[in-house]
Amino acid sequence: MGFDINKMLVISKKEFADNIRNRWIIILTVIFVSLTIAASIVAGGGEIGSMDDTVAGLLSIASLLIPIIGIMLGYGTISGEANSGALAVVLSYPVKRAEVLFGKFLGLGSVLSLSVLLGFGLSGVVIAATTDAQWGGYLVFIGLSILLGLVFLSLSLCCSAILKRRVASLGAGIVVFFFGMIVGLVFLGYLQATGGDTMDLIMGNFENIPDWFWFFASLSPMDGYQTASTQAFDISEVFGYRMDLPEFLNMPNIVISQLLWLFIPLILAYLFFERRDI
Amino acid sequence: MSAGETAAIEARDLTKHFKDVKAVQGLNMKVQKGEIFGFLGPNGAGKTTTIKMIMGLVRPTQGEVLVKGDQVGTNTVEIRQNIGFLPERISFYENLTPVQTLNFFCELKGEDKSCIDALIEEVGLKEAANRKMGTFSKGMVQLVGVAQAMIGDPSIYILDEPMGGLDARWVKVVREKIKLLKDKGATIIFSSHILSEVENICDRVAIIDKGELVAEDTITNISKLLDIRPQLVIMIPGLDGEVPGVVKTIDGIERVGVGGDELVITCDSSLRARVISVLEEDGLKIEDIRTIEPSLEDAFVRLVSERGGG
Repeated sequence: MGFDINKMLVISKKEFADNIRNRWIIILTVIFVSLTIAASIVAGGGEIGSMDDTVAGLLSIASLLIPIIGIMLGYGTISGEANSGALAVVLSYPVKRAEVLFGKFLGLGSVLSLSVLLGFGLSGVVIAATTDAQWGGYLVFIGLSILLGLVFLSLSLCCSAILKRRVASLGAGIVVFFFGMIVGLVFLGYLQATGGDTMDLIMGNFENIPDWFWFFASLSPMDGYQTASTQAFDISEVFGYRMDLPEFLNMPNIVISQLLWLFIPLILAYLFFERRDI
Repeated sequence: MSAGETAAIEARDLTKHFKDVKAVQGLNMKVQKGEIFGFLGPNGAGKTTTIKMIMGLVRPTQGEVLVKGDQVGTNTVEIRQNIGFLPERISFYENLTPVQTLNFFCELKGEDKSCIDALIEEVGLKEAANRKMGTFSKGMVQLVGVAQAMIGDPSIYILDEPMGGLDARWVKVVREKIKLLKDKGATIIFSSHILSEVENICDRVAIIDKGELVAEDTITNISKLLDIRPQLVIMIPGLDGEVPGVVKTIDGIERVGVGGDELVITCDSSLRARVISVLEEDGLKIEDIRTIEPSLEDAFVRLVSERGGG
């Protein structure tokens, strides 16, 4: 009667098989792999280079492309299939909606993880050859990158479950992406407006920045990801900027924040999907 | 309620409102085990919404659907184990082949995959069995849809416009298939907006319009209800779209229409001679007279459009 894990796995297997052949996902993965390899070579500079600079390069590529891959996988999976009629067939089978939804998340998440592993796996080979690599940190970094992708997959899946039309959920996916990009700027604007000085941030005078700013910044999935990644490598300075952050901005707290970003939209998606007319 | 056995499918006061649109309104109907039940109505009448409520895809605003006595909900897994469903609008996964797609559906139903080759052959897609479905035409996708509905030999089939998008040859195949399934004891509901698609194979028919049940009966009784009368077509040169005034003086004429030089009169056959003599006495020159027998289809279209007018 309850939740049938096998049915969920059947759904995720199908999602994986279908989306691993998705043209856009293949193109984005190729771009991702090429850029990460290029970044590793450039940062290595032909001799043993700085791992810190390599990470900074990889981080900016990953921050851009991984959310896009997550959104591409998620935005149409409910609304698009509801519009096309594919979902009506699946839901006419002896399968519960929860099994379909979580199966989709698992299958699409596997495609995303594979894409990230490919990108960082191949660049890892380059890094091993060109820098004094920190492998422990690198593995944590890969884990954080997959987590970031899953957060955006979950957010776009949620939009897809709530919105009626495929186009609307694509629009929502784009909004989610830009939200992730600019939410830090919103806090920055508020900091300036309340008498803070953004120059302190740029000059690295972090002791002048109030703690609430860091708290909200860590709540933003993108900023949290970047902060946690630099911490994974024990980096305190990136391209000449000091990274001296408050105590509570530590790895476990940031991971908890990311997990909330992952599970809350996923639960919301489930609640809406249960009630949705297909 | 009658004391007979439980109906295969029963709708009780089934109602669905989308915001201010009353898609289905207080629908009551019963489909008995082993019958082919035609579900007829023009586009937008509420057929698809009703079928989706039977499948638990759409939640009724009011009322309920019972399948073999059990109430349908969005997660009633046991009921769906035994139903084959073909939605009106269908699509599968662009990057998967028919074999991969049917494999997936077999796994979802917990059925043996050995039936897949036979199903693919049966719907005539053997050549395309291992081609990605992204390249398929609408008709080919529909045939994969027919194949998936037959997985596991269900005892109830619910087919929403099963012949839509198919060419004449495949319409015939699907029709034969439906008869064959009935012979095996299956209960089949299929919807259509074209009467001729259902009239020769259905045991009983329900007509739905604007979300309400207009009639539920055998084809013979429905034909009586639709009141099929022959029409008299009289050719009078120079008529040019005008109904001669003298026609209105004849009692017993039900309808008068005119198209160009042709006067179309619906009346009892005993009145025909009188109509013609009155026209001739009025000095009109009749060039040709013929009668046309309207099809059930015409009557159906008329019934529906009359409801639209009222």
